[in-house]
Amino acid sequence: MIRHYIKIAFRNLWKKKTFSLINIIGLSIGLTCCLLMAIYIRHELSYDHFQEKGDRIVRVIMEYSFGGAIQKGNFTSTKVAPSFSRNFPEVEKAVRMSGTSRVMRYEEKLFNEKSFVYADSTFLDIFSFKLILGNRAQALSGPNVVVFTKSAAAKYFGDENPVGKIVTVGSGSVPYTVTGVMEDCSSNSQIKFDFIGSFSSLGVTQENTYWDANFTTYLLLRSASAIHTLQPKIRPFMQHEMAAEVSGKDYVTYELEPFKDVHLYSPYDGFEPNNSITYIYIIAAVALLILAIACFTYINLSTARSIERAKEVGIRKVAGAFKNQIFWQFIGESLVISVAALLISTVLACLLLQPFNNLADRNLAIGSLFSPAMLLFELVVILCITLLAGSYPAVILSGFQPIRVLKGAFKNSGTGLVLRKSLIVFQFIISVFLIVACFVIQKQLEYIRSKNLGFDRDHIVVLPMDQKMKANIATVKTVFTNNPGIRSVARVNNEPINIVAGYSMRRADMAENQSIIVNANVVDEDFAKTTGVHFIAGEDFSEQDMKDVEYEDQEKKQYHYILNETAARELGWTPAQAIGKKMFLGTHRPGTVKGVIKDFHFSSFHNPIKPLVLFNENWGNYLLVKLSGENMQQTIEYLESSWKNLVPHRPFEFHFLDDNYNKLYNSEHRLGKVLNTFAAIAVLLAMLGLFGLSAYVIQQRNKEIGIRKVLGASVANVVALLSKDFLQLVIAASLIAFPLAWLVMNKWLQDFTFRVSVGVWIFVAAAFLIIAIALITVSFQAIKAAVSNPVKSLRTE
Amino acid sequence: MIRIKELEKVYRTEDVETVALNKLTFEVKEGEFVAVMGPSGCGKSTLLNIVGLLDDPDSGSFLFNDIEVVDFNERKRADLRKRNIGFVFQSFNLIDELTVFENVELPLIYLGVKTDERKKRVEAVLDKMQIMHRRNHYPQQLSGGQQQRVAVARAVVNNPRLILADEPTGNLDSSNGNEVMQLLTDLNEQGTTIIMVTHSEHDARYSHRIIRMLDGQTVTENILV
Repeated sequence: MIRHYIKIAFRNLWKKKTFSLINIIGLSIGLTCCLLMAIYIRHELSYDHFQEKGDRIVRVIMEYSFGGAIQKGNFTSTKVAPSFSRNFPEVEKAVRMSGTSRVMRYEEKLFNEKSFVYADSTFLDIFSFKLILGNRAQALSGPNVVVFTKSAAAKYFGDENPVGKIVTVGSGSVPYTVTGVMEDCSSNSQIKFDFIGSFSSLGVTQENTYWDANFTTYLLLRSASAIHTLQPKIRPFMQHEMAAEVSGKDYVTYELEPFKDVHLYSPYDGFEPNNSITYIYIIAAVALLILAIACFTYINLSTARSIERAKEVGIRKVAGAFKNQIFWQFIGESLVISVAALLISTVLACLLLQPFNNLADRNLAIGSLFSPAMLLFELVVILCITLLAGSYPAVILSGFQPIRVLKGAFKNSGTGLVLRKSLIVFQFIISVFLIVACFVIQKQLEYIRSKNLGFDRDHIVVLPMDQKMKANIATVKTVFTNNPGIRSVARVNNEPINIVAGYSMRRADMAENQSIIVNANVVDEDFAKTTGVHFIAGEDFSEQDMKDVEYEDQEKKQYHYILNETAARELGWTPAQAIGKKMFLGTHRPGTVKGVIKDFHFSSFHNPIKPLVLFNENWGNYLLVKLSGENMQQTIEYLESSWKNLVPHRPFEFHFLDDNYNKLYNSEHRLGKVLNTFAAIAVLLAMLGLFGLSAYVIQQRNKEIGIRKVLGASVANVVALLSKDFLQLVIAASLIAFPLAWLVMNKWLQDFTFRVSVGVWIFVAAAFLIIAIALITVSFQAIKAAVSNPVKSLRTE
Repeated sequence: MIRIKELEKVYRTEDVETVALNKLTFEVKEGEFVAVMGPSGCGKSTLLNIVGLLDDPDSGSFLFNDIEVVDFNERKRADLRKRNIGFVFQSFNLIDELTVFENVELPLIYLGVKTDERKKRVEAVLDKMQIMHRRNHYPQQLSGGQQQRVAVARAVVNNPRLILADEPTGNLDSSNGNEVMQLLTDLNEQGTTIIMVTHSEHDARYSHRIIRMLDGQTVTENILV
């Protein structure tokens, strides 16, 4: 019997290739999305599960209040780990860590390494990272030792055994001994590194203060439940510890976070950006939604074919089939289609894994598609789809009365048509919603791309520098500007697109506790020239201004400031009034205001323009090199060769300011890409569904069409008649989707201080697009029906 | 074998009632060959559907082998039907996706007959209907007469006690029609009861008894044998 079902299923699929193909393609698309999202979700949920002691590890979050403002974050001072280990019996071990970037050299190999982590020797006791070479007990003991990951070791040493080799680290070229090689960090680890240096190499004070919170502390507790007994002890303990340093309502305390919760539940990042459980839920919902849409398409297409299958059902019933036998036969067909779709989608998922990885910023392996859990998941999904998508058509078909269908008097009563129309409307609601969302995001991204930031970010090359370069920075600048392709060179602390350094500032006549929080950037006399910021009062720094801070003696230093309009306003000055006024940046930098510039965007459009101070200190992290824009390739080659001569201790690394500017909106770009993909999928599936429904309805109206044509209706009349009903569905869907999309996208835009408005034309465009799509889909069937010979359709009745 | 008493069937649409069977009383004995005639809309097809357990009467009594079947649910009717009744239709009603062999095999599958036994019985009946050489063809590859022979083969493969034929020659030319009528006659002679609805006086003459219907009632009975 089962063989018989499978046989007839295959023959039917083969006979109606187009329908089968559409069905299989629709389900395959839905399943592919589902598979990719499932491995992504599984990967995210598996974060840090490989840590054998993960249940007992907690991360220490610092919370402090100073003058009423509460600050909280994943930073602690060096003192927390030793102090907690000593004072709390719950703590078995503690580790302090600090992630940074370091220039590293081994013989001729010189790289700026971005994943260099310093950690106490307890690191290897607490975490389960595998040491391949070296002694686990001693690998991180003592200063100036470093452990490489396997791929980092291969990069520097090739096939040689690195243990015992000496590398130099940092701008000071400190020699470090390699003491071990570790397995590369697995992709589902919140702690990621290429190198681990011993914490004692850092040369920071070990336990002087609870301030200077620049490190991450993890505690290994004696039991997982110890977190509950330890947490309440911390506040009173810290009150006692800090009694001499804080008073009044101020306090310092710490919160413990279960290590395994960090990646999905903590607002504070690990050694890489966290994910959020909310996103996981959203992704799961989207995956289910897409799968549901795919099933709806299947339902619509299968029921569309029910008339063709009616005769067969009638004959089978007359031949003695029970209703449930017919039901299972159609479920069987749906199973064949689902399995075919699963096979196709598995292949598709493998092919699309790389693009998906790029989109999701992950590195998921193909093998994860075939893990036992995924195979089980696939089995369950297939059964669900088979039953979900197959049962409605099966119920409809198995319910046919044989006498009706066999006597040719068969007419579908329209039962279920309402349901099928609702499914189509639902599919189009999602499609329209996504189309509007894509349009809005594109509009905002275009606005970000094209908006004048208040300075010129084009053709600016950014070169990371370090303090060792201070000595010959003037030479570097001169050599660079000798090239005609280079207009100017400026030294800065932060890139002007994202100035994050925070200070306090006040007028000289304000009390210290009246300070205003500002962002401030160290710049030199060429900053304004290089970036093209506009002065509205006063003037730019001079070379002399730069010399005014080059004294060892703090007392002799003279600071000069350039404020943006907002900073001047917050200090109570008009731009003109500000010039020459005395002010402080921080507590120890007395100086005078030299100029006021027009506000420019120095952080992302999510934020309003805040007060900004530019000031003259003689250090920096980046050189900004303004190119003329001609012969860029040669100019960069010139930069590289000059760099190698002038700065032999650092590799030549560069990026364009504009690229980093775009990176500020990475998550928006990603969201845009994800939504574009979903919108395309949703529209495609909705089209397939509509195609199915129109095929069905037009089949039903074949006789009517014939009669109308005999009575003189033109092809255009008939097409219009048939398309009208479907347009109504699409318009209804749009009317439901529009206000929804308007609400959600306005909410999304609220995150931007500088934003576009949603605008009527977006809805008009979306409406045109979706109506065009619907018309094209329906007209396939409608035109076919309209041009067919009426005699044929009338005779079949 | 079949005892029908005061059977009523009314088809209702929104504002029209059509009386298909009007207190019909009617009997067929085991081994009889009965032809039912009458103009279109007289209720003969409705009668055939009810006798074939494909449709329910509104009221009245229907004894099939002395068992009252009026109150049977769909499952019980299907069960009774597949063990006792074979159907032959004017339009053959073969499944296009199945071969001749598979079409004939269908009732045996639903009866739960084993594969080997099925093969034997299907081949036997195809042989008897002289269509064995076409066993692997699909219906659309056969002539009308051949298709109807396949349909008859399918109707008799499970050895039903009753065959219901609804204008079995309606779509056939006269020589093919005669062939099919001869087949039915042969089956009847071997003991199968046959009820046949027809418009053709010629075909009706193959039967033992002609029942003429009008407006849902029998009006005359001609006994031919």
